[in-house]
Amino acid sequence: MVKNKSFLNRAGFFLLIIFILLFSVFPFIQMLSTSLKYQWDWGNPSLIPTQINLEAYKELLNIGQAEKDLPESVQNLINETPDITKAQKKAIIAKFKDTSGVFPFFRYFRNSLLLATTAALLSVSIAIFGAYSLSRLQYKGRSTIQRGVLFVYMFGGILILIPLYKMFVNMGFLSTKTGTFTSLLIIYLVQTLPVSLYMLGNFFRTISFSIEEAAMIEGAGRFETIWKIIVPLSMSAIVTVFVYSFMIAWNEYLYASVFLRGFEELQTLPIGLQTLFVSKNAIWDRIMAASMMTAVPVIVLFMSIQKNLAGGLSAGGVKE
Amino acid sequence: MGLTNILNQNNLNRQQRESVLGWALILPAAAIILSLILYPILYNIYLSFFDVNLEGGNTYIGLDNYSNVLFDLTFWNSVLTTVIYVFFTTVGTTVFGLIVALAMNKEFPFRWLVRSLVLLPYVAPVISVVFAWKFIFDPVNGIFMDITYEKLGIFSERFNMIGTPEYAVWVAILFSIWKGFPFAYLMILSRLQAIDATLYEAAEIDGANRWAKFKAITFPEVYFVIGSIVLLRIIWNFNKFDEIYLLTKNVKVMAVYTYFKAFTGAMEMGQGSALALIQFLLLVGFILFYVKKVLKW
Repeated sequence: MVKNKSFLNRAGFFLLIIFILLFSVFPFIQMLSTSLKYQWDWGNPSLIPTQINLEAYKELLNIGQAEKDLPESVQNLINETPDITKAQKKAIIAKFKDTSGVFPFFRYFRNSLLLATTAALLSVSIAIFGAYSLSRLQYKGRSTIQRGVLFVYMFGGILILIPLYKMFVNMGFLSTKTGTFTSLLIIYLVQTLPVSLYMLGNFFRTISFSIEEAAMIEGAGRFETIWKIIVPLSMSAIVTVFVYSFMIAWNEYLYASVFLRGFEELQTLPIGLQTLFVSKNAIWDRIMAASMMTAVPVIVLFMSIQKNLAGGLSAGGVKE
Repeated sequence: MGLTNILNQNNLNRQQRESVLGWALILPAAAIILSLILYPILYNIYLSFFDVNLEGGNTYIGLDNYSNVLFDLTFWNSVLTTVIYVFFTTVGTTVFGLIVALAMNKEFPFRWLVRSLVLLPYVAPVISVVFAWKFIFDPVNGIFMDITYEKLGIFSERFNMIGTPEYAVWVAILFSIWKGFPFAYLMILSRLQAIDATLYEAAEIDGANRWAKFKAITFPEVYFVIGSIVLLRIIWNFNKFDEIYLLTKNVKVMAVYTYFKAFTGAMEMGQGSALALIQFLLLVGFILFYVKKVLKW
């Protein structure tokens, strides 16, 4: 009887684990599965494609699109015109090979990467000095600033979207491409800065002051101490903060959807994919392939800092 | 350069120099936060009293924006939707996160792998997972309709669950629980791991069963972690936009409602500002209440 009960317990426990696991990863499996299916196979509930279809990935990565898209007349023209040079031929093919007009995944990816990397780099750089000031130096007004940083922490995007939009319109930023890009960059910087300041500040407090003191007795200035002692000692925290900031900018949809209205060529991944999904029919395979390729870089980044994840979260490194 | 000069001047003592340096280092960050978060908050209050025109000037209209918003039934609907959404997502993420944390705190084969895989929903970008969820609930291709209609016969026909407001809100809630539970799980697990194992041993000697151990040891230890998780979740989900809007446009919580008001159709930005301010005040009021009553700070 006792044995029986513990067996049931164990079986129940394993069922629970399997349920948790399935619940967590099922949408990812669905994503992968659909990205590899042909259209006639979509309605089939089986997760294993009847026949593997790599077209979606090929189209997104622009592999082997030339032959497919080249109209017959053009193909004939190339083949039957003897005095056409190789370079000219290549140029003609390249023109048709370019699928970016249909599904400009690369452009979205590049825009997102550029924005998120720059914003995260700027945010971390400014935050290193700010966090040092907040955690190491004594001065009047410090605690006010510190509380202010915590306070702005809870401002979700929608609460200040309208005034920010109006401000940037008033300043004329949104009428040019550079201005639009810059304004979005500034906004991502602002959104990530409080998180960076808070996390780095908490980490700096864990570094013993005596190391710094020793360096300063040796004659090192404050900036030298920050650069040669604080930064190397907190590299893991700095990387974690960078990844968080990168993520916030990489995922951002709300501001991008409002600010990028005027310039389609600046669209980032979230806004671009959403636009494509709404405007085109029957693109499940390509949307899923694009989803995979959007998720993978971020998942890899996160897994690389996984051991710092729990610590980072409890240090206040969270924003959604 | 100027800073170095000031710092090298002899007429400043050590304390004063530290003060100057402190302000200088925090200044860039403080200036950015001040001009792009605090100023917009004030500017938002200003805008909420005006009929806002993007190209031209604004016209002062007093409290018209507020009365327009407050006498509109759709606004109260959005408040109700927000309350339902926030309540169920908060309870869902926390309870499920707690269950997962308790399970992951036990030994089992491949635990390291399961622990990592469970984090995937949290780390994957919203935009990359939202289409998979849409596909699952797709009326023609989705597996959900296949199971509930074809296999189990719960529904009498295939229909677009995400497109029907009274169902869509539950899909949005499930999606949010899926996306948010790993955060609760991680926080609770790291607290669980810090509990002294001898406490349990002592309780076992006293003959405590599993439930008694949970009630007497585990729960008090994780109480404050759970309190903070709940608070954070409420703040985040109260303002949540992208997870809802990208999944379905049929769940009009306050953030989505404000977005539609301010950036589609007539682009009523003044009313949008009023809405944002109301939403902010509701949130702050709730936080103050919660911190006093639940966290007892």
